[in-house]
Amino acid sequence: MIRKEAIELCLDEIKEQPIIAANGFISRDLFNAKDRNTNFYMIGSMGLASSIGLGVALKTPKKKIFVFDGDGNILMNLGSLTTIGSLKPKNLIHMVFDNSVHESTGSQPTNTNFVSIEKIAKACNYNHTFTVKTKNGFEKILRKIKKLKGPIMIVVKIQRSNGEKSARINHEPTEIKERFMQS
Amino acid sequence: MQDFQKQMCDFLIRRGIKNFIGVPDSTLKNFIEEATKRKKIIIATREEEAIGIATGMLLANSPTLVFMQNAGFANSLSTITSLVQLYEFPVVFLIGWRGFQKNDAPEHKKIGKIQPKLLKDLELDKKILNKNNWKTVCTWAINQTQKGNSCALIIPREFVD
Repeated sequence: MIRKEAIELCLDEIKEQPIIAANGFISRDLFNAKDRNTNFYMIGSMGLASSIGLGVALKTPKKKIFVFDGDGNILMNLGSLTTIGSLKPKNLIHMVFDNSVHESTGSQPTNTNFVSIEKIAKACNYNHTFTVKTKNGFEKILRKIKKLKGPIMIVVKIQRSNGEKSARINHEPTEIKERFMQS
Repeated sequence: MQDFQKQMCDFLIRRGIKNFIGVPDSTLKNFIEEATKRKKIIIATREEEAIGIATGMLLANSPTLVFMQNAGFANSLSTITSLVQLYEFPVVFLIGWRGFQKNDAPEHKKIGKIQPKLLKDLELDKKILNKNNWKTVCTWAINQTQKGNSCALIIPREFVD
């Protein structure tokens, strides 16, 4: 499964619930899969998607908030896992699309080749953590988490995309913000 | 000397600030103590993380202040330019100014010296707070956020411990 396939697959289950997407190809793949008002594309500020998601989740307890993170991204802000695990928002679902490389910058390796993000999240008091490697496995977990309380982490192991690049997001950042706030 | 900080925190709450997110600084101790008492605080692990949480809360229409020491302000430059300013989030920054006095600890001297220039180059509007002007300055900050602008309130460290 490549990132774009994984993103398309979970959009079927997420419906219109808010998504905070990390910078680079994660935001671009989401934009190309389905551009929704409830997508917040984080264009810069690498590492902060889970923190932005935490802020939204704490203030909108009635909505489920999904974070689309990457391995390179979360490794830049591991402290965020301890804050999420301390505050324990029930409505936060943290997905990490993990290809063990910084694909957006030329596929340089990340430390998830050696260290498990899922284990770190578990040690940080996430209520439920999963690692999935196949489409079938991912679909099962997406259905299962509907009945579970967060914070939940799903590490989705993906293959590197083969040079196919999703187009850049063509909305102005302020427009991304405004339409998200109004949705 | 820093007693106005508690009144200031109370004033900001009454003027609509709902959340105080940041990394502790001894210069801001009384402010943080009051925000903690009022249960409106989150202590983040780094200043960039605090700004991330704050922008999330602003996305949910909940007015938010971010507090930090100026060492953490230096950590945050890229987050300020590529998140707060790029998306025009009306964040109020409260920054403790170490290195304001020449006899402050050595690690604070350089950042304390270049801080005014950094703020100016960032084009982040700032005002310096003291026990006499805090109410006017906080009102200015609230007005800035209502216009959709971010801004910074600076508290100089006027004592050595």
